[in-house]
Amino acid sequence: MKQEESDILKQIGKDAGFKVPENFFAEFNQKMSDSLPQVEITRVDERPTLWTRLRPYAYMAAMFAGIWCMMKVFNGLTESNKTELTAKEIAAGMSIESNAEEFIMNSSVSDVDIIMSYEDSLYYDNLIIESSNSNGNNEELL
Amino acid sequence: MAGKYIYDEALVVEQLHDPGQAREAFGKVIEHYSQALYWQIRRMVFDHDDASDILQNTFIKAWTNIDNFRGDAKLSTWLHKIAINESITFINKKKAQNNIPLDSDDSFLANTLESDPWFDGDATQLQLQRAIASLPEKQRLVFNMRYFDEMKYEDMSEILGTSVGALKASYHHAIKKIESFFTEND
Repeated sequence: MKQEESDILKQIGKDAGFKVPENFFAEFNQKMSDSLPQVEITRVDERPTLWTRLRPYAYMAAMFAGIWCMMKVFNGLTESNKTELTAKEIAAGMSIESNAEEFIMNSSVSDVDIIMSYEDSLYYDNLIIESSNSNGNNEELL
Repeated sequence: MAGKYIYDEALVVEQLHDPGQAREAFGKVIEHYSQALYWQIRRMVFDHDDASDILQNTFIKAWTNIDNFRGDAKLSTWLHKIAINESITFINKKKAQNNIPLDSDDSFLANTLESDPWFDGDATQLQLQRAIASLPEKQRLVFNMRYFDEMKYEDMSEILGTSVGALKASYHHAIKKIESFFTEND
């Protein structure tokens, strides 16, 4: 504070040169207190209830829980999308007889799709058999 | 001998919200703050009668809005804010009456100081008041609060809603301008 002041201000000091009539403040205080208008004052409970204090935190927790649930539901939907099989995967699965029967029993896939998948599986089986035969021949040649 | 009353702000604030004790409690508030608020206002408007009227308006406004005061801020901060707003409103009205643009400084207020019966300053004190009046309103407030009232920057910050750094800069600028005013008018 002292370093902030200039030489001029140090010379003048803190007296601004203003004065007030004698007993001004005592008279003012009395007059002011007596002339206060009528106002309605509502009593307030100084201490907030436990719920009032915890309410914002409860609301925030509920909000986060809601967001978490929404994310869960959203993830569930994307997961179920991932379980859809490609035609090739179905065909490979169908090549195993027990799987094919189970799939036919439980699947909502149309009959045409099942027949086509089954035919595909037979085609792939033949390919596998042919390639294994040719490999066997090559081994014999070696 | 009657014991001197000790002002307990927390107790007074509690009483202000009790319909049965509010009026008496506000009397204590008036007694406690009238001088500080008066000088704050007087240094803004210069004239004693105007300062007295503004002080009265300040207390009336505070009393009629006492229900809105919940004790989140300090009572002194709240009262000083009201006093400053009332002072600025008064100065702006006076500017309008005298056809002075609102954005100009408040130098016109110091013109009547010489003939004011409630000003007994010497030539240098009068010059200082003229220099202060030539400052922008906010700088004037900051200078008065800091220099005359020796108010802490933190308290000023709460009242004026300005950062401590900005207030320090404002005070520094005010001093520089006052020095220049004295140099130019020597």
